[in-house]
Amino acid sequence: MSKENQAVSAAYAGLQQKAALVRQSRHEKPLLLVGTATCGLAAGAAAVLKTIKEELARQKVEATVLEAGCMGHCYAEPLVIVYKPGFPPILYGYVTEGIASRLVIDFLAGDDPCLEFALGALEENEFLPALSDFPRFGVEQKIILENCGLIDPENIMDYIAHDGYAGLARALQLEPAAVVAEIKASGLRGRGGAGFPTGRKWETCLGTPADEKYVICNADEGDPGAFMDRTIMESNPHLVLEGLIIAARAVGADRGYVYVRAEYPLAVKRLALAVEQARQCGLLGENILGGGFGFEVEVFQGSGAFVCGEETALIASIEGEPGIPRHRPPFPAAAGLYGRPTVIDNVKTLSFIPSIINRGADWFKSTGTPGSPGTAVFALAGKLVNTGLTEVPMGTTLNQVVYDVGSGIPKGKKFKAVQIGGPSGGCLPESALDMPIDFDSLSGAGAMMGSGGMVVLDEDDCMVEIARFFLDFTQKESCGKCTMCRLGTRQMLDILEDITRGRGRPEDIDLLLSLAEDIKAGSLCGLGKTAPNPVLSTIRYFRDEYEAHINEKRCPSLMCQELIAFYILPEKCERSCDACVGSCPVEAIYNNADRIKVIDQQKCVKCNSCVDACPPQYRAVIKLSPPELVAEREKENK
Amino acid sequence: MSGEVTLTIDGREITVREGEKLLWAALDNGIYIPHLCADRKEEKPDAACRLCFVEIEGRPQPVTACSEPVAAGMVVNTRSERVDRLAGTAFELLLSSHRLDCGKCAANRSCALQKIARERKFKLKVTRLRTLDRNLPVDDSSPVVTYDPNKCVLCGHCVRACRRQGGGVLGFAGRGFERRVTTFGGASLAAAGCSGCGACAAACPVGALTAKNVRLPNAGAKR
Amino acid sequence: MELTDQEITTSREETKKILPQYPGRRGDLIPILQKVQEKLGYVPAPAMEEVAAYLGITPMDVYSVVTFYNQFRLSPPGKRQINVCMGTACHMRGGNIILDSWKRRLKIDVGQVTPDREFSLERVACVGCCTMAPVTVIDGEVHPKVTPTRVDGLLFSFGMKIEKEGGKH
Repeated sequence: MSKENQAVSAAYAGLQQKAALVRQSRHEKPLLLVGTATCGLAAGAAAVLKTIKEELARQKVEATVLEAGCMGHCYAEPLVIVYKPGFPPILYGYVTEGIASRLVIDFLAGDDPCLEFALGALEENEFLPALSDFPRFGVEQKIILENCGLIDPENIMDYIAHDGYAGLARALQLEPAAVVAEIKASGLRGRGGAGFPTGRKWETCLGTPADEKYVICNADEGDPGAFMDRTIMESNPHLVLEGLIIAARAVGADRGYVYVRAEYPLAVKRLALAVEQARQCGLLGENILGGGFGFEVEVFQGSGAFVCGEETALIASIEGEPGIPRHRPPFPAAAGLYGRPTVIDNVKTLSFIPSIINRGADWFKSTGTPGSPGTAVFALAGKLVNTGLTEVPMGTTLNQVVYDVGSGIPKGKKFKAVQIGGPSGGCLPESALDMPIDFDSLSGAGAMMGSGGMVVLDEDDCMVEIARFFLDFTQKESCGKCTMCRLGTRQMLDILEDITRGRGRPEDIDLLLSLAEDIKAGSLCGLGKTAPNPVLSTIRYFRDEYEAHINEKRCPSLMCQELIAFYILPEKCERSCDACVGSCPVEAIYNNADRIKVIDQQKCVKCNSCVDACPPQYRAVIKLSPPELVAEREKENK
Repeated sequence: MSGEVTLTIDGREITVREGEKLLWAALDNGIYIPHLCADRKEEKPDAACRLCFVEIEGRPQPVTACSEPVAAGMVVNTRSERVDRLAGTAFELLLSSHRLDCGKCAANRSCALQKIARERKFKLKVTRLRTLDRNLPVDDSSPVVTYDPNKCVLCGHCVRACRRQGGGVLGFAGRGFERRVTTFGGASLAAAGCSGCGACAAACPVGALTAKNVRLPNAGAKR
Repeated sequence: MELTDQEITTSREETKKILPQYPGRRGDLIPILQKVQEKLGYVPAPAMEEVAAYLGITPMDVYSVVTFYNQFRLSPPGKRQINVCMGTACHMRGGNIILDSWKRRLKIDVGQVTPDREFSLERVACVGCCTMAPVTVIDGEVHPKVTPTRVDGLLFSFGMKIEKEGGKH
């Protein structure tokens, strides 16, 4: 073993020793982990945390309270995990301030684990079902998310105690070319969307001689409906950082950036802290772990432009320019930031790196499909019982993700489609549910892996409206440089708006298809080239909905505001109930002579409040499309 | 890199400077390719207008000629169904947001859009698409030039011309459909420190920036 | 928007305090602008001029960047900044209805500030809280599962009197 390699081994062993001590001391007392990623905080985790601390003081119970990230069970936030000696670690969901006090009083001060609030135990035991007994456990396989929600993201020692930075220690003892070769052999494909082989990118960068090189973590997660990267950065920032340092070592970069959206303040804060702690531990800076390699990282905040997820636009942004994409080639791996070779990888791509280096390419390839090895992380949102984050092997079917992990559609509604890949992706119908998901199957079906946002749509969601929503988004986020994207997406949006307002023309569907084809072929960057996908996939699978809007001026899903009207069924209205009247924000509901409620169509703003307010035993408020049906009904009732 | 290369464009053998972009190689040899934003003086092409598509044998997709360096033995076709269709769509898109007023326009007969329509037999009219008039105010404040942003096609020639004159008064602002050529803070030209050199009007290919009826120090620089 | 003399002086002085923290490379432009906005709440023209002079670029270059990115404001925000999320999940769960509710109650459009400068209203692309849709972020705090009634409740908690004035829409 060379002198440097010995130094690295010794330095890393020292860190591990320190981490083991921290971990040991932590479990001497009961330990409570409160999930305070953005999803947890939105659900009230801050108040839960405060209650727990106050109640512990009141009860004079000694316990450690830590803030952790997100375990993926976002539907049940706020989440609390309690480790108490003599009990298995238990996960509690839907924790309110009241439940939080009871956990302290009954479980920590007393010995009643309050199983009525438990979601499950973290390990097999005799008391209560474990999470591994959930149907989703059979589908999920966690590589990136393994420690998310279980470790303290603000303490590097917690990460090191879970073998953190072992991959870096190993990479420092290998030749850069050997690190690149390992990643290339693993078949890892970039998780930012397009699925370009990561190893090939690194190889280009390594092989391009230059005085300076850069590595950049692309954390500009701008897809609406996606929150995987945010969660990983908030829950395990050191994992991302370790991946970036290994990338730098592999290609010979001495400077790097983490480019995070400013809209993710907690991720920015936790990453900045991670960088600081890594520096203090000798994992950043000059001569990392004594191995002779030096590297510095800066956290750069993106200023709110979706297009900066495109790598050349991201580079322009770091250079202090508007985030406008540049013509490729040259590709950044050959000439990127300040004209120097630059590797840009997504958060999830980098998060795979430490375990690939640690466990080897063959281990990584044993999961997933031959063309797309490894796992995929999906953010599940929309009309799903269990929304949140999941990680499944590539090749898992949509069916398993929607029904086994997500537990299906709530309120007994019917599944309609799943939107994958955000504004660059598409909507897949029920017939695609059995399709195994990987990079290639998705693009074949007209969608795209994208970065992993998955929004489930049910029978109440209009497919023309969702296409319009995405075009509105891309149109607003287009940089405006190239004609196809600036004006082409604008034309498509105008057509879609006409259709959702009942002003579509029969020839509009063909015009949309023709424009879509040209924009895909003729745009300068990936944003424009993929912008038509939501429209193409919805026309491909849901053309009948477009036709109903155009030919009958009717929205079959009762969603498009200008094509629907709200109506109260007189025979179902319980006259003495005033729930709808009180709920209406614009006083559009009045009593007729029989005290039956009637909606003034001129005043109605179609906000849906009365539908929600009408007690379930009456269900008197309905939606009609086209709106003219209201007048017909009213005439019939006279 | 001072060598020369020989390639074939539309069946003709052409020898040009190594590293030259296809667009200039073709134009210099009398072969027309529609274009608006390309600028010979710039090292890196904008590739923004999406008009100059050509077919290169062996490539699956048409490419923009302004961004493609020539290569020895390259076989190029400036016309094909795909290329004409892409250029046609880009052209109609540009027209849809260019206020058509040819009869009264100062650029009538010298307008680049008219030339493209003539060469490629495109209609000078928006037929399939919706008209996207932005209805922006015309800036008539300068004594030498008039700026009608409703005619601007965002080719950027004026911005570069202004910069080369040392002005830096004109630039791009906003993004997406809102992207426009304007001054700092959106001030009128008169209030924005414009020196009145007229280089922008000389550079504008479509009559968005036009010279008033005065003698310009820079006139004659028209492309 | 016309700035008062006081506002011009303040923005120049505050910007000048920020500039020396950066070496003065073009790449510092966006971090500097972010710092200026953090301090002033927006990026006024005098601040842009100071930054341009410091970095040796034209004010127009700075203006190009400021108008390109969503984050930067050219006018002062309200005391409370209301950001309505318009991500996919929020949209499908009625985000536009929530945005309409805010507009109706505050009587302003997106991008505007109430005349008393108490509230400003913006739409944001996605804050990544899709499982809590629809959400509104007020001064950095995420409010989950917002309804039109909750909009009224929030405004009430901020001490705003809500007059129900049906019939105007």
